[in-house]
Amino acid sequence: MFGYLQIQKSELLVREYEAYKSVYCGLCKQMGKDYSFLTRLSLSYDCTFYAMLLMSVSKSCTGFRDGHCTFNPLKKCKFAKCESDCYSKASAFSVISVFYKLRDDLVDGKFFRKLLTRLILPFFSHWRKKAANRYPDIDKLAAEMMNMQAEAEKDEPPSIDKSAHPTAYMLAGLFALEAENETDKRVFYEFGYHLGRWIYLIDAADDIEKDKKSNNFNPFISDKENYDSERISAILNQSLARAYDAYNLIDIKDFRGILDNMLLLGFPSVQNRVTDKLNGGNNE
Amino acid sequence: MNNPYEVLGVSETASDEEIKAAYRKLAKKYHPDNYTDSPLADVAEQKMKEINEAYDMINQMRQKGKGTGSTGSSSYQGSSNSQFYNVRLYIQRNMIDQAEQILDSTPMGNRTAEWFYLKGMCAYRRGWSEQAFNNFTTACNMDPNNSEYRAALNNMQNQRAYNYGGYNQPNMQNGGMGCSCCDICAGMMCADCLCDCCRAGC
Repeated sequence: MFGYLQIQKSELLVREYEAYKSVYCGLCKQMGKDYSFLTRLSLSYDCTFYAMLLMSVSKSCTGFRDGHCTFNPLKKCKFAKCESDCYSKASAFSVISVFYKLRDDLVDGKFFRKLLTRLILPFFSHWRKKAANRYPDIDKLAAEMMNMQAEAEKDEPPSIDKSAHPTAYMLAGLFALEAENETDKRVFYEFGYHLGRWIYLIDAADDIEKDKKSNNFNPFISDKENYDSERISAILNQSLARAYDAYNLIDIKDFRGILDNMLLLGFPSVQNRVTDKLNGGNNE
Repeated sequence: MNNPYEVLGVSETASDEEIKAAYRKLAKKYHPDNYTDSPLADVAEQKMKEINEAYDMINQMRQKGKGTGSTGSSSYQGSSNSQFYNVRLYIQRNMIDQAEQILDSTPMGNRTAEWFYLKGMCAYRRGWSEQAFNNFTTACNMDPNNSEYRAALNNMQNQRAYNYGGYNQPNMQNGGMGCSCCDICAGMMCADCLCDCCRAGC
């Protein structure tokens, strides 16, 4: 949804990078198959991470095959094969989250954006129904999250914990679906919770300037508290640290190198990019 | 029950040194210190137990008979004479709603440093880290000499300073090798090895 769950490409092995790309391409293909050409454009890094995590814990990747990119038929690419429904699940999650995001934009977006949203929303509404039929749990989580978010934003003064809770809760629930027993469930829940919290908060940090101008809700904009980049870094570090501790307790079966790379290098460097920008903003 | 070599993530032909190294790496990963106050402390403890057993088993199989000197558990313990004994019991059992109920019904006048500490612990368990941090800070300010409160605050301060690869400094992004912390190098090396065996079938 936001695209913050990235790899640190320079630190990956070449074959790891290729495996990552082939999961990305495999997911893109599945989105085209399950929904439509248009949904492919909404494919994000976050959903790729989700698909990769699913494939890793279920050990369902059975190899790679060669093929051609749909957008550029001249370009050859590899697709990771998957024997369970990891791709479908990730596609459904992507479609569902885009739908709710669009519906949210309709309420507080700008004029031009609203117009565009109004045009494509009916399509996504249709696809979302299809996705929700197949994965009712995911749709329920996303719907709950949107309601909770609206509630949390009414709070005055804004609370970091409360406003991050809905996203964190959604990802926690989403990951917990993969658990096979109670202990696993708690581990997945904790991992999802703190990763979701991190995603929400980094997105908020990224949008501080924009939200100040447009007077939108942002938990880091407060009359009472001063959130400088150092304090925001500390808050983000904390979430990532707890997510990583939980991640270490998950039985990662495939793609460990890539997932480790993301958690230890990719996410922190994305975070630093955002907090550095805040620093730059303060100096000017 | 499980193959002890698989538990440690080494091949059966691995040398004693390799096994020791793998064991140490995992022991460091699951060390109770990493999970102080975490709701997953018991899971980490279980993992620790598994690798200790696996390591012992391998050593026995190889007729070395060496022990692990397994790390004692550092489970969260409250003093029984505490005013909030029940709250502590609830927190220990991860029954946060019940714990908070008691805390919230405590009159303002009785909200001691311990109250703030426990309130912070409830928030921490829920993942509400900012609230937890504020409450721990209050507890420490009210009772600066209490080591329990101090430990909880320190734990959070460590997490807040984490930023794994030492990437915290703005200009280090392309420094790439964030080797300010040896763990990272070791971790990546380990990941590499694991990746080799895991992705073989892929």
